[in-house]
Amino acid sequence: MENKQFLAIGLVVAILIGVTAVFFAAGDPDGLESTAIVVQGEKDLFGPTPEDGDPEAVGHDVGFEYEAPMPDYAMGDDAGKMGEVIAVVVGIILALLIVFGVGKAVTASKH
Amino acid sequence: MHIPDVFIPLWQSAIYWVIALVFIALALRWARNELDDEKVPLIAVLAAGIFAIQAFNLPVGMGTTGHLVGGALAAIVLGSPYAAVFVLTLVLLVQAVVFGDGGITTMGANIINMGVIGGFVGYYSFQSIQKVARNPYLSAGIAAWLACLIPALAASVEMFVAGTFPLVEGMIAMGTYHAAIGVIEAFITAGALYLIASARPELIDTSTGVTV
Repeated sequence: MENKQFLAIGLVVAILIGVTAVFFAAGDPDGLESTAIVVQGEKDLFGPTPEDGDPEAVGHDVGFEYEAPMPDYAMGDDAGKMGEVIAVVVGIILALLIVFGVGKAVTASKH
Repeated sequence: MHIPDVFIPLWQSAIYWVIALVFIALALRWARNELDDEKVPLIAVLAAGIFAIQAFNLPVGMGTTGHLVGGALAAIVLGSPYAAVFVLTLVLLVQAVVFGDGGITTMGANIINMGVIGGFVGYYSFQSIQKVARNPYLSAGIAAWLACLIPALAASVEMFVAGTFPLVEGMIAMGTYHAAIGVIEAFITAGALYLIASARPELIDTSTGVTV
């Protein structure tokens, strides 16, 4: 398989996975967030996660806040699923480009 | 296991960043020595694929979901733990800056857990298990499971030091959830290794013992 073909097929597969994820991925919190809810006493280790569980309630005021342009891989409630599709595709392409760019830059610096 | 900003006090985050930067420098040196025009597209596609699969949260029961992290996969395919540091650093950068997944101040800790610890555990446990098991897909699966569980335990120690989780309760919960999430990591890592080996066998590090 040629490099360009591999790159194109890989990108298409990644986008297919990402877009499928928008529609089929599960919504419960991840392991770290679940643990944060467990240590607050809001959730049993093996039990379901409460709807109103807030993992970040165990956090501290660290004096730093950052507002990402597309928080939670979405573009706000109005954009709905379409916003999530755009967000995940943007993310995939950005990940590809940044690794490609940094990879090219470091290999070029050899010469 | 992306740690948000509010989970670690700033001074501790700064320490994790300094440690992470040392490994990022080593990963850039690895990239300079090992990457060439053939391998750059592979590593870029791998990063895109890891980003996409990370978006796919699968239920693991217990009110919890998990997804691939990908440190073991990157390290095994490219034959170096620094490959995981390289890929995961850039993927975590995009996730934190664009999508708010994982903090900015805590990115150093996340790079250490998922890139450095995930990459080193994934790579060296793969190499050891492969000597005994002599089946690259089985070895990759077990290594990937460990590369999910051990970073999660490291994260729970960091959360204890940060005063965010109690030590024992945090380790039990983090360990339990990531032992389950690690099964996802195991199957996707073995499956992706097989797919890459089928498409571009010459790009897989020869020490993996993958033959097609």
